[in-house]
Amino acid sequence: MSRALDTVAAWVLGALWIAPLVYALWAAVHPEAYAARFDLAAPLTFENFARAWAQAPFPRYILNTFVLVTAILAAQLVLCTLAAYGFARFAFPGRDTLFMLVLVQLMIVPEVLIVENYATMARLGLVDTILGIGLPYMASAFGIFLLRQTFKSIPKELDDAARIEGCGALGLLARVYVPLARPTLVAYALVSISHHWNNFLWPLIVTNSPEVRPITVGLAIFGAPESGVSWPLVSAATLISVTPLLLAFLIFQRQFVQSFLHAGIK
Amino acid sequence: MFGRLSKTAAAAAVATLLGAGPASAVELTMYYPVSVGGPLTKVVDGMVAEFEKANPDVKVNAIYAGNYDDTRVKALAAMKAGQPVQLSVLFSIDAYDLIEQDVVVPFDEVAKSADDKAWLQSFYPGLMANGVINGKTWGIPFQRSTIVMYYNKDAFREVGLNPDAPPATWSEMVDAAKKLTKADGSRWGVEIPSTGYAYWMFGALAKQNGELLMSADGTKTFFDKPNVVEALQFWRDLGAKHKVMPEGTVEWGTLRQQFLEGKTAMMWHTTGNLTAVKGSAKFDFGVSVLPGNREPGSPTGGGNFYLFKSASPEERTAALKLVKFMTAPERAAEWSIATGYMGVSPASYETPALRAYAREFPPAAVARDQLKNSVAELSTYQGGRIRKALDDAIQATLTGAKPAKEALAEAQAQADRLLKPYR
Repeated sequence: MSRALDTVAAWVLGALWIAPLVYALWAAVHPEAYAARFDLAAPLTFENFARAWAQAPFPRYILNTFVLVTAILAAQLVLCTLAAYGFARFAFPGRDTLFMLVLVQLMIVPEVLIVENYATMARLGLVDTILGIGLPYMASAFGIFLLRQTFKSIPKELDDAARIEGCGALGLLARVYVPLARPTLVAYALVSISHHWNNFLWPLIVTNSPEVRPITVGLAIFGAPESGVSWPLVSAATLISVTPLLLAFLIFQRQFVQSFLHAGIK
Repeated sequence: MFGRLSKTAAAAAVATLLGAGPASAVELTMYYPVSVGGPLTKVVDGMVAEFEKANPDVKVNAIYAGNYDDTRVKALAAMKAGQPVQLSVLFSIDAYDLIEQDVVVPFDEVAKSADDKAWLQSFYPGLMANGVINGKTWGIPFQRSTIVMYYNKDAFREVGLNPDAPPATWSEMVDAAKKLTKADGSRWGVEIPSTGYAYWMFGALAKQNGELLMSADGTKTFFDKPNVVEALQFWRDLGAKHKVMPEGTVEWGTLRQQFLEGKTAMMWHTTGNLTAVKGSAKFDFGVSVLPGNREPGSPTGGGNFYLFKSASPEERTAALKLVKFMTAPERAAEWSIATGYMGVSPASYETPALRAYAREFPPAAVARDQLKNSVAELSTYQGGRIRKALDDAIQATLTGAKPAKEALAEAQAQADRLLKPYR
């Protein structure tokens, strides 16, 4: 009985989750008149995709987004792993104070810092570069916090055993901590990728030219707050933007789900 | 990822080496928002390219910067960080905030020649209302709209109304809407959107009832005047009493879709929608000026050019040249046809292009005809918070949570508190 209930609940949740996507698909392949009317005989069209594609340089935007999330993720993995390792396993004066400072960063909404961050990027000469979009996010407090907790939960005995075998601090990190923290790293990577794939305001503010702008900025052209949205067009553009991420998720689905189960975050 | 940076640097180095380009080259950076649908960034890029061709000594970086709010944040962030920004297209109602932050200069300081002064007078006065403050011109109209009424002529014919005589008064509109509303809920008579820009729509209703929402110097609001309360009550009654509009709020963003699907026979919406409605309507539709009550009326809306304080004197001169170019009658006509925004000067409606367009598609001239009755959009110091107070009052009334009088009195009290320091 409870099994059946689980199945029903899973289907309901699944249907809820997929509904917006199904709607976007429906709206994108039909003329505007059918955007909110369900009629199986409605004529199919790919014109919406063609029009959306023509309005913004999507291949360029997708490439930019790809470079951006990859760069951020690579830097985050390196920085957060090293910082978390330091906080978790080394005793040094001021460690707790420092860690508190890192946590403070978690409490501040990034939007508050936009003007200040922009000024910093301007002084560094990084306005209108992909590095400029990514830099403020690279030392991620969330990543440090998450990995520190994971490292702390790894049994000290493993650490001791490796030391007896003659492993140095960095060797320990590479051979013991990182392999054991893999589920957390993968889960964190997924959160990071989807967050930065979707990030809009900061990339818009700090960039000027289409050569460096990510896909969300391109998508915003279809927002049209004053006249109201053209649903077929915005659906087509949305599908173009989410497809790469969606494909990646479907391909790596099994690993992701397992990582989340292990890491216990969502 | 450093490609762009080094390319610029290389180009600069080459230019220095060859001594290429005019010695007095001025570079301008301009941010602009896009808030109606369509490939508008390309239209702007095209106009800028034309300007650069005609003025080889000026280089313009025209940067699309999201919606009005995003664009303001971006322009101000750039300015505070010392990045170049000489002019921008920002919301016409941001004028008071920009003046208060001391980031803009009036056009009068740059437009000094007799020719320039004549140019300042060449726009429709209705469109200058939001830009002229304390006798100085802070904003030049560019992407400007107003509210008009779109109506479904086929639906009018179906219920025996004259499709060429749209309702001209509130009572005519209610009568027509009663005939047009279908009892099964498949079609409403009229819809006035109340999310997104509720204060804007309300500016129209208040004016039609003989009242403005704020004083010309932006330090007083008149939300609790009896005629204003009556206007809000009328809006509420359309749904609650006359049953010709859905009760509660009407979504701004999806209203066009509803109109196109025939779910409402009339809608009040921005002229910025005209090109989109024209492209998608499968029925015969008309556009008319808004119906009036004590008098006709509609607020203007949209974006103005602003000159930034951070620009050097040469840059200001070049920026003025650019603004003049972008708002010249031919460009204004081209812009109006591409977007549905208004031509900003009487001369733009005299250009062959816009005359031909208005002849073949008469709705294009409706906004112009309404301009003689138009008033400024709600714009005051502390604008964002005051608009929010009014929006909340409107929505509370429309959803039936509070009576119009009480809701507006609260909004007025809040506005008084916010504006006290400016009086």
